[in-house]
Amino acid sequence: MWLNALNRKLLRETRTLKGQIFTIAVVLASGIVCFIALRGTYASLLASELDYYDRFRFADVFAQAERVPETLARRVEALPGVATVQTRVAKDVTLPIEGLSHPAYGRMLSLPPSGVPTTNAIYLKKGRLPERDDEVVLLEAFAEAYGLEPGHHVPVVVNGKRRSFRIAGIALSPEFVYAIRPGALVDDPKRHTVLWMQRSALATAFQLGGAFDDVSLKLAPGASEKSVREGLDRLLAPFGGNGSIARKDQISNRIVSQELDQLGVLSTMVPAVFVGVTAFLVNLVLGRMIRLQRPEIATLKAIGYSNVEIGRHYLGLVFVVLLPGSVLGLAGGLMLGHFVLALYGTTFRFPNLEFNLTAGLVATAVVVSAVAALAGAWGAVRSAVRLPPAEAMQPPAPARYRRSVVERLGVSALIGTSGMMVLREITRRPFRTLLSSFGIAGAISLLILSHFGLDSLISYFEGTFRREQRQDLAVVFAKPVAPGVVAELARVPGVLTAEGLRAVPVRIRYEHRARDSVMMGLPRPNTLRRLVGHGGPEVAVPADGVVLTQTLGDVLGLRIGDRPEVEVREGDRRTVRPVVVGFVDESVGMSIYAQAGTLAALEGDLGAVSSVLLKVDPLRTAQVDAQLRRSPSIIDVSDARGDMQRMLDMNTSFMNVWTAISIALSAGVVFGVVYNNARIGLAARARDLASLRVLGFTRGEISWILLGNQALEVALAIPVGLWLGRAWARQFMSTVDQETFRWQVAIAPRTYLLSVVVTLFAAAASALWVRRSLDTLDLVAVLKARE
Amino acid sequence: MDLARHDAAAVSAPAVRAAERSAILACVGLRKIYRMGEVDVRALDGVDFELRAGEFLVLLGPSGSGKSTLLNILGGLDVPSEGRVFFGAEELTDAADDQLTAYRRHHVGFVFQFYNLVPSLTARENVALVTDIADDPLDPEEALGLVGLAERLDHFPTQLSGGEQQRVAIARAIAKRPSVLLCDEPTGALDFRTGILVLEVLDRINRELGTATAVITHNAPIAAAADRVVTLGDGRVYGTRTNATRARASDLRW
Repeated sequence: MWLNALNRKLLRETRTLKGQIFTIAVVLASGIVCFIALRGTYASLLASELDYYDRFRFADVFAQAERVPETLARRVEALPGVATVQTRVAKDVTLPIEGLSHPAYGRMLSLPPSGVPTTNAIYLKKGRLPERDDEVVLLEAFAEAYGLEPGHHVPVVVNGKRRSFRIAGIALSPEFVYAIRPGALVDDPKRHTVLWMQRSALATAFQLGGAFDDVSLKLAPGASEKSVREGLDRLLAPFGGNGSIARKDQISNRIVSQELDQLGVLSTMVPAVFVGVTAFLVNLVLGRMIRLQRPEIATLKAIGYSNVEIGRHYLGLVFVVLLPGSVLGLAGGLMLGHFVLALYGTTFRFPNLEFNLTAGLVATAVVVSAVAALAGAWGAVRSAVRLPPAEAMQPPAPARYRRSVVERLGVSALIGTSGMMVLREITRRPFRTLLSSFGIAGAISLLILSHFGLDSLISYFEGTFRREQRQDLAVVFAKPVAPGVVAELARVPGVLTAEGLRAVPVRIRYEHRARDSVMMGLPRPNTLRRLVGHGGPEVAVPADGVVLTQTLGDVLGLRIGDRPEVEVREGDRRTVRPVVVGFVDESVGMSIYAQAGTLAALEGDLGAVSSVLLKVDPLRTAQVDAQLRRSPSIIDVSDARGDMQRMLDMNTSFMNVWTAISIALSAGVVFGVVYNNARIGLAARARDLASLRVLGFTRGEISWILLGNQALEVALAIPVGLWLGRAWARQFMSTVDQETFRWQVAIAPRTYLLSVVVTLFAAAASALWVRRSLDTLDLVAVLKARE
Repeated sequence: MDLARHDAAAVSAPAVRAAERSAILACVGLRKIYRMGEVDVRALDGVDFELRAGEFLVLLGPSGSGKSTLLNILGGLDVPSEGRVFFGAEELTDAADDQLTAYRRHHVGFVFQFYNLVPSLTARENVALVTDIADDPLDPEEALGLVGLAERLDHFPTQLSGGEQQRVAIARAIAKRPSVLLCDEPTGALDFRTGILVLEVLDRINRELGTATAVITHNAPIAAAADRVVTLGDGRVYGTRTNATRARASDLRW
């Protein structure tokens, strides 16, 4: 019989504690919501990724070269550890889309005659594979961005010739789960696409008959990736190979993996706050309940209930919180999880992205929540169990108050008697005050944690545009062109300044450490692409020697004056040992900078440029665009500021939703903590407060005495929470791959303000809620009632 | 209704002289010392005492004389600093916590001055607290019928008068068919008329069920209703007397 008298007692008491139980259940549910949504999204993405990579044979090693005879494929296949090899033709093209200021950038890839590559197979979502020379399969995101369907046509400039292709099919590929054009900051489905076409047609267009320029491999189980790559690099070197990359460095996979890593960290960090606060609140409420029920505990013991039975009875409250909290949390988590996963689905394209709520996930969420609540309950319940029955018969010892250190400093005159009551209440229970503040601080830090990413990104961009990348447009060529193009572009009406850049793939080695990198040749003077050292001073590009990003220097253990070995991975593949003359503090990438002249000498030519940076008269931007669109050798025109704006625009709806969710969750925690503290304060001090009302105190005055504690807790929590949020953000960033990104954590004043305002509102709302009870305090009844 | 057969420790009839009965609860040389700050307080200072099967005993003494301490130790709520306690042949002196719990659960009924009802439970449910865990209990309705509250089964404590609450407490105490009923100032919080009513119930329970009953009081006239009276002061037993006749509760006056 589960509904025995003791369980009835529990149920009736939960009714009187419904406000408190509800707020705790909400906090507990919030933790489950976050855990289920984030961890579930993480697990679903990871499972989709693994399944996708496996079924569509995502390659383990990728390499590109200039023109490799097809016969070399056999030798690649013969390398020990290679399972399968797929060669193809891969070329950059542009798509002059109507209405787009710069042409969109496209990567055109060949499909084998069978249409089914042995690596990196495509997932055809609509239509069919290309059957004619003028047919392509188009990447889904781009097709969606323009509403393109099979049967429609797209204009493509292939090797300088504008052609129109019929869309045969629309597809996804494991290589382009996250499709981003080289050098871009974020994905932009309108300006970047991938097209697949028959190999013969593509090879003909680029004069690559009987040859390939792109190869990918699957490794045999247990094969050494390093030795395969070395072998492959050796084979491709004579054909313009510029170094293979491993799957982990493949751009789409790297970004997906990073996002997954972050999500993994977030999915444990965020619920931790709720778990902690749940434990605290359960302890608070149950502790109070047990103190109030001393005589009942004594009676239960007197009539023969054992300690275990009494302990179980009070632990029952945990289940009263756990049950609705879990149901609410699981339902909310499932909803939020679907939503978050769908958001990821718009950026990360998988064939089957389904939110997978596993039994393990549900069990973990419920068990962790239960353990937290039980841990919170444990101390309180233990005190009930340990209470000797004869002692429990006696009323508890009256609260002991004493003059605190603060009072001895003479503040009493300043804060008056009411202030004194508040102060003494706090000094009597400093630990509870600290824990309450810590709970509220946790909520504040959640708000900061949910915003710092975007703040840091904006701060990074703004800083970069102000200090380092001061161009309006970056014009990228399909292959390095003669330096004369800089002067040509400078003469275009509307162009104020034009400066050429040269980027050369290199491998840099120092002692036993090596990294693939890009060596950038900068012009003199370099007014648009500047180098900035730690703390902001401009670093001049030396005539002799190189400057490295700090990250690269750290990874290789380089100091000023060292001479690392730099191997150029194209042309004659020379190796030099330039002296390191300085470091620059850049958040992204691992680059080496030198003067254009130094680089030309290294390449053994007269200098070439791979891109040109332009400063443009804002009033004549359209004219400049029009001019650039006409040049067939230009593969991409990027406008970093525009990119940033587009990214912010794309993120706005996501951020709005995320902001709303984080506000709701944080406000729930603040409300829960303040409400429960105030209710308990009221229960414990109703007599005192009623006495004061009898003495003539106003409602406002007694409200201050009751809620002053909570006000102080919130006041204490705010600076701690802001600090904690920042510390947490830093901790979070340190989990991100330091070699790729080295963001400075930046938190906008707006974010701090939002956190504080949300906290104050939630605290005020819960305080007002409790104040209603003060307004209806029945003076006579309270004074009569025994504690 | 004859319920005496249910009581293991009950004897033939209340009319038998108290002196002829065997002790159901006894203690020898009982001392209890509480340390309060720097001072040792001797709540009990060498008490020898026995409660005999079926008798109605009044433990008389002023406030602070050690009555409640003695009752708590006899009821297994507290342990002595020195001396020995027996329940029948079983020694309780060094009993472990779970043994004391079992003792209270199966053999002792408590009635307290302030009733100690669970406010969130109805009269019936307060009694059910005991019947849920006892081995061979009365039905809660039956127990409440015995104290004259058959009509008020589903009232919450706040809906009952003080006397009614105390009768619920008595029903709760007897529902397990205890061997001993220990009552700590059962009339202490009640007015005269209600106090008499409660004593009548205790008296009737003792006579009908034969439950050995010890009533603590500082109210001397109540002693007239007892078979035996033990007087306590300063933690010692000052005297024991046996009443030649046991007054009816309704005849008491104070």
